[in-house]
Amino acid sequence: MKTPILIGGFALAVLPAWAQLQPIPADSIRTILLQEVAISTKRHNHQQHLQEFYTANKAATTEELLSRMPEVSFIRRGSYGMEPTIRAYSASQVSVTLDGMRIQGACTDKMDPATIYIEPLNLQSIEVQTAGGSAMQGAAIGGSLNMKLAEAELADEPRLSGAVSTGYQSAANAVLGGLRLNYATPTWGLRASGTYRNAQSYRNGNSEKVLYSQYEKANIAINGKYLLQEDLILKADFIADDGWNIGFPALPMDVGTAKARIGSISLVRENEEKRWTRLEARLYANRIAHSMDDSARPDLPVRMDMPGLSRTSGFYVEGTTAPGANQQLSVRADASASYLEASMTMYQEGQAPMFMLTWPNNRQLQSGVAAQYSWQVNTKTQLQLNSRLNVSDFSVTSSEGRDQMAVFGSTGTERQFVIPAATVQLSRMVYKKLKASISGGINGRTPTASELYGFYLFSQFDGYDYVGNPDLKPERSMQGEFTLSWQEPRVRVQATTYASRVENYIVGAHKPELSAMTMGARGVKVYYNAPYALLMGAEASAVYNINGYTQLVSTLKYSYGRDAAGEPLPMIAPLRHVSSLRKYFGDNLWVQGETEIAAAQHRNSESFGEQPTDAFMLWHLRAGYQKETARKVWQLNAGVENIFNVNYREHLDWGQITRPGRNMFVQLSMSF
Amino acid sequence: MKKYNWLTLWALAMITFFSTGCDSEDVAPMPTINYQKIAGGLTETADIKVEVYSTDKLFTGYNPLHIALFDAASGKQIEQASIKLQPMMHMMDKQHAAPAENPTTDRAVDGLFSGAVVFTMPSGDMGSWTLVVEVEADGRKTKATVPVTVVESATSRLKSFVSKTDGAKYLVAYLQPQQPKVGVNDLEVAVYRVNSMMDFPADSKLTLELNPEMPAMGHGSPNNVNPVHQSVGHYIGKVNFTMTGLWHLHLTLKDGAEEAGKVYFEVNF
Ligand SMILES: [Cu+2]
Repeated sequence: MKTPILIGGFALAVLPAWAQLQPIPADSIRTILLQEVAISTKRHNHQQHLQEFYTANKAATTEELLSRMPEVSFIRRGSYGMEPTIRAYSASQVSVTLDGMRIQGACTDKMDPATIYIEPLNLQSIEVQTAGGSAMQGAAIGGSLNMKLAEAELADEPRLSGAVSTGYQSAANAVLGGLRLNYATPTWGLRASGTYRNAQSYRNGNSEKVLYSQYEKANIAINGKYLLQEDLILKADFIADDGWNIGFPALPMDVGTAKARIGSISLVRENEEKRWTRLEARLYANRIAHSMDDSARPDLPVRMDMPGLSRTSGFYVEGTTAPGANQQLSVRADASASYLEASMTMYQEGQAPMFMLTWPNNRQLQSGVAAQYSWQVNTKTQLQLNSRLNVSDFSVTSSEGRDQMAVFGSTGTERQFVIPAATVQLSRMVYKKLKASISGGINGRTPTASELYGFYLFSQFDGYDYVGNPDLKPERSMQGEFTLSWQEPRVRVQATTYASRVENYIVGAHKPELSAMTMGARGVKVYYNAPYALLMGAEASAVYNINGYTQLVSTLKYSYGRDAAGEPLPMIAPLRHVSSLRKYFGDNLWVQGETEIAAAQHRNSESFGEQPTDAFMLWHLRAGYQKETARKVWQLNAGVENIFNVNYREHLDWGQITRPGRNMFVQLSMSF
Repeated sequence: MKKYNWLTLWALAMITFFSTGCDSEDVAPMPTINYQKIAGGLTETADIKVEVYSTDKLFTGYNPLHIALFDAASGKQIEQASIKLQPMMHMMDKQHAAPAENPTTDRAVDGLFSGAVVFTMPSGDMGSWTLVVEVEADGRKTKATVPVTVVESATSRLKSFVSKTDGAKYLVAYLQPQQPKVGVNDLEVAVYRVNSMMDFPADSKLTLELNPEMPAMGHGSPNNVNPVHQSVGHYIGKVNFTMTGLWHLHLTLKDGAEEAGKVYFEVNF
């Protein structure tokens, strides 16, 4: 292990080298397309049906879109800033990237997953990968979620296009405004979009106001594209996302401000004639500033401020080639450096402020080389190999930070982790249009900064203060996945089951000898490596075009997790089902009825003090109308969610806080 | 450091716009000791000039004192001497002494003989302090009596208790940490038994238990080390602070297995 190039050579060594390209889709990848590249009237292809399913509420946030994917769940502490998880895996086991760029949250309470910095308006697509496909994105055991940014366009004639939209949602009295402008010329293009959202505290199914559930945010995204040569494009992206007064009803604190600045420059060469048909190199940097306070909360014995800062810069290089007939090889090398710091200052009348570092200043260098190789062996069989070698280095950078860590007797804070991952996936048409895919592999993940260095991080979930452990070992997982799919023009059905055994499962252990720092906390937990945990589950989806104008989309999911002692893991969603039936009336009007059912979850974790959750069933009705004039397209979307005003909560919602009750939404947009 | 080479290379290769000075090691400033002269005078034999130095004003509690001796005639500094310190409080109706530590060597270090005095009350209407410095140098044996002023320290650095086991009064003086920080701090206290108004021997037979507490929040801190007797009544241990602010260092003093008494010191930073 001398240089990354050597490691890359190792990853490539298994591959022969011929030529010829053919893109091969995999079963373990699920994409939501959010931007139509060109206005299309072909309504009846599958991808578009799914897209319409996901974007059924056009006023929805990125989080709400994601939550309609069967693989994705959200740990919810407030109505905004939810933590995405995939399947039964926890958020720290999942790699979340923004167009391949790494972003580290700046909040010790996980209020700022990377998903909040993107609006549907500037998203091209969302890609969720499982079964080892995530190796291209990062070291993760639960898969990856990548959000691709919308790009500027080029056009033969200079052309200005754009869209204006506005929306309203009744449950939170929320307003939305959006603007998108594209300017395209033959050699360059510019795309700018802005979104503003303002939501009040929402009303739940008992028509009670859920205090501290409001939020306000603005997002600006600019993308520029410049054609350097026939096949070479220079791109630049910039995103500014500011949130204010974001309430977290399930937590004792809210977010005062959350600011993200995200930028990148990239070079892309796409040329079918060349040996490497696609090459991309990108340099990026981002900065997240997050500040929590409890100024809105009444009657607290101690007031506190908790600011956090995260800075990341990095690069990646990736390329795609065809080493032989019906083969495709993608390789990627990436590296990033992240710096994190977070502190807490507590105030009490007539006393000096109490200050501590909740994240002692620390940095994380991570790098990896990955390769994905697909081979269409014959008309019926397809093989895919995914591999990654990830190396990371963590350390506490300030002497204050190290002094603080010494309180727990840790002498060295510097840690290196080497994480190999490899997955083999084999797909075969077994009977007519029935395809079976089986995959198996190993992967792992590094501990997070909180797990290594966190200092009395209070978790409202189980009521303990959490202390990091710099001696943690990385989690390693062995997993397998099996998929059956049936695909024909009218029907597409897919069912997947997966299981993984996670060794060195990272979880907190109660230390009775330590006294809690947070007032009212039940004690202190220190992270350690539990022997193992088992995570498994299944999901299924079906798209059925009953006739050209009626379609049914159904998704079903189940997750299961237990630790080495047989106890259920916390935050595992119960059986869940969503069905939607859409009918078109002519080409301009559609109506969609939808039902959402979740079973009760009685497999709750006693040691986390987790409560069981009741079953619920919701009904939604949505409709859309589109009118095209010579130069403009008008779209009106409206609907009612949770029609029967059910007072419910999902199992992954913290603090027994119930979700919004009946919500009427309307969204109007005009594009030109 | 071969294994860091490639990581370093990457770190350099990247344009780390934001990471100015992130990895720089913080350098602790060299302690520059600034002694100030707080008293001075001639010995009774008038041939030696005695000067008393301290880092700050004298306060109730443990004060390190540094004595410089000069030959009164030549003005030359005396580097070799045996010194005894005897503080004395002069009150209306009585006088009493206080615990003191004499310089341990006869040889001056940087021209100073270092000892310490534990002043037990401030100067004022109640009475005034003098410091008797007994000097034995070049065969001459004499003493100087210099007046000193002692102020009440802002936070109490001297506590006392009456032992539940032997009925005697004990004094507990706070020495360290002088510059408390979040993290692990050396803790040092000195314990003296009050045998009489004039006799304050250093104690070594009590055992001490430390329990830090943040009163505003009601929590403690982990992994503290109970102070253990080292020499001349000094007990040394470790105290951990998990945040800045006001802490109470609770000390339980035990005589054998039995509790003799309890005191606490405030640390505010
Ligand atoms: Cu936060």
